[in-house]
Amino acid sequence: MTDPIVLLQILWTGAVTASSYVLLTVAFSLTQKVTGLWNFAQAGTMGVAFYAMYFLLNDMGQPLFIALPAAAILAGASGIATEVWGLDVLRARSSGNLTFFIFTLILAELIIYILTLLFGTEPQTLFPSILSPVHIIGGIAIGDWDLWAVGISVSALVALQLFLRVSNDGQFLIAVADNARLAELYGISARRAYCVTAAIAGVLITLAMYLFGARSGITPNSPMELILTAVIGTLLGGMGRVFMGGLASLILALIQSYSVLVIGSRWQNLLIYGFLFIAIVVFPRGIHLPRRRVRLPVAQPG
Amino acid sequence: MDQLNIRRRALLQGAGGLGLAGAFVGRAAAQGKEPLKLGITEPLTGSEAGYGADFVTSMRMATKDVNDAGGINGRPLELVVIDTQASPQLGINSANRLATIDKIPMFITAWSAVVKAQAPVANREKVLELSVGANAPDIAKLGDYVYTLFPLAEVDITALAKYTYDKLGKRRAAVAYINNETGIDAAKLYKAVFEAAGGQIVLFEAYDPKATEFSGMLLKMRAANPDMVHVHGLLIDTPLIIAQMRQLGMTQRVSSYSAGYNPKLLAQLGPAAEGFIVTSLAPGVDDNKNLPGFLERWNNEVKRPPNGLPYLQYNYDSVLTAAKLYKYVLDKNQEPTGDALRDALLAIREFDGPLTGKTIVDGHHVKKPVYLLTVENGKFVPMARIDS
Repeated sequence: MTDPIVLLQILWTGAVTASSYVLLTVAFSLTQKVTGLWNFAQAGTMGVAFYAMYFLLNDMGQPLFIALPAAAILAGASGIATEVWGLDVLRARSSGNLTFFIFTLILAELIIYILTLLFGTEPQTLFPSILSPVHIIGGIAIGDWDLWAVGISVSALVALQLFLRVSNDGQFLIAVADNARLAELYGISARRAYCVTAAIAGVLITLAMYLFGARSGITPNSPMELILTAVIGTLLGGMGRVFMGGLASLILALIQSYSVLVIGSRWQNLLIYGFLFIAIVVFPRGIHLPRRRVRLPVAQPG
Repeated sequence: MDQLNIRRRALLQGAGGLGLAGAFVGRAAAQGKEPLKLGITEPLTGSEAGYGADFVTSMRMATKDVNDAGGINGRPLELVVIDTQASPQLGINSANRLATIDKIPMFITAWSAVVKAQAPVANREKVLELSVGANAPDIAKLGDYVYTLFPLAEVDITALAKYTYDKLGKRRAAVAYINNETGIDAAKLYKAVFEAAGGQIVLFEAYDPKATEFSGMLLKMRAANPDMVHVHGLLIDTPLIIAQMRQLGMTQRVSSYSAGYNPKLLAQLGPAAEGFIVTSLAPGVDDNKNLPGFLERWNNEVKRPPNGLPYLQYNYDSVLTAAKLYKYVLDKNQEPTGDALRDALLAIREFDGPLTGKTIVDGHHVKKPVYLLTVENGKFVPMARIDS
């Protein structure tokens, strides 16, 4: 099992598996950074995104190029609706953190319950077939779908990075994340920033559910398990460090994949809970790598 | 020729009319009396609902047939159905409700973990628990009030493992199994039988019931170089494992048990399912003259192929068996208690079901032939019949 081909194969399949987790974590982490909230309602958004795609593809017979954007719009809209008619109301009432936490959790459960009524609880995949053509490159099996999944994830992350760095709205998000009140003094609408964040999260979540649902069976309850990965990634990556959260999810997925070399497959999912425990107890603000000290030039007396 | 056709049509219409009238009279008589209740605990929601809901549909069909034929000594049979989500905890709740609130002396149930969890309730409350579909070997040891009408894994898994060694000539098998009641004991049994036959188990690996990514386990399997792979899982994970095997270039033939006998799996896997072997403990259309009629009725009423047809056959027949137990007890002027119904089960012993043929209840075991099916050109086709 120490065959380099095996190790590389695990690296590749682990990275492909992680692609959807990374997007979910980045969506969760970005929302946490800008709004300061642990928004568990995103589990509901995941369900909305998946079942919207499923309905359009399988029940309405629509092609993917319609189903995917439509689901993203619906997911984004549900996130904005939650923001406007839920979280904003709680902010206006100066509600405590616990109220926000309970509200988002209950909202997620409510959405999941409605989806259960509408779509039943049988596991569903987006497409009838879960297979794609495979190529053996240097002894490593690489599927067409794998390349597609990694490509989508990387493109989405690059687009998000560009948005945050280049666009005005992106800059406003960072300003609101740093200090919402100060940003408002400069004429930046925090409310608009929260809605833009919800829309971006909706798009990222839809892409993640597309990648996940094309390969695995999903039930309305699945998002509650998926969001756990996003929470752990956000915790380990460090709150407010969006892309580090994504990186943490990737590393977590790889550790899970490599773990089968030393432990039985049945223990793989236990690792997730182990990491969650360690993250909360030992790294409540994430793992921070030691920063290199920069020596500033000392002014010489004239 | 035309005259012959008209006569035949008239005869059929007359017979149909008489049958209909008889059924109507019988049904009317049956409806006037206090019903005999039969508890049913199956997953109607949750990941196993695809099977559970179809089981209940087949049992409702059987109940209708019993009542249309006049019921049981003139009393209608009534099903009381409770959802378990295939969860042991909900299974316990449902058994408690049936025994203590509804006061029903007999219930039919399924899913090994649920059957086991309900057993203490059945033994404590002295109600007859009939397992139909669960196959964990230790179901035979759950107590005086727990019986199975479905062959346990010892029947089909033993037959499959022996067949794999003897007839398919496989010598190095890998076993991947779900880490719960469904997988653990059955996988151990497969391993024991295959090794006893002279084969070698090169990998014996359990996976988490919630897992969706199996590449690591499969790479270990690939390194072990088996010539046969046995997957003992559920409908949600078995196709994923086979798909990921094929994606990793693993071409070994795969076997599973009766849970794999599902048209959805074929749709998900397409050509990757070719050669897949499953067991069936019920006869197919070529071996049972009543099955085509049942399938036609199913298609007319449900309008899609059934999930897990062999299980449906057993579930249909199990209602007729329960009706027979009630009749036996009533004919003896006894109260239909759990004790009386259990004694009836052990006294009658042989049941000839229209969809599964003769079933011999041998204490806590059931003897039945095993049918192996394999996937050819995208369809399950008969492969072998093994008599136990």
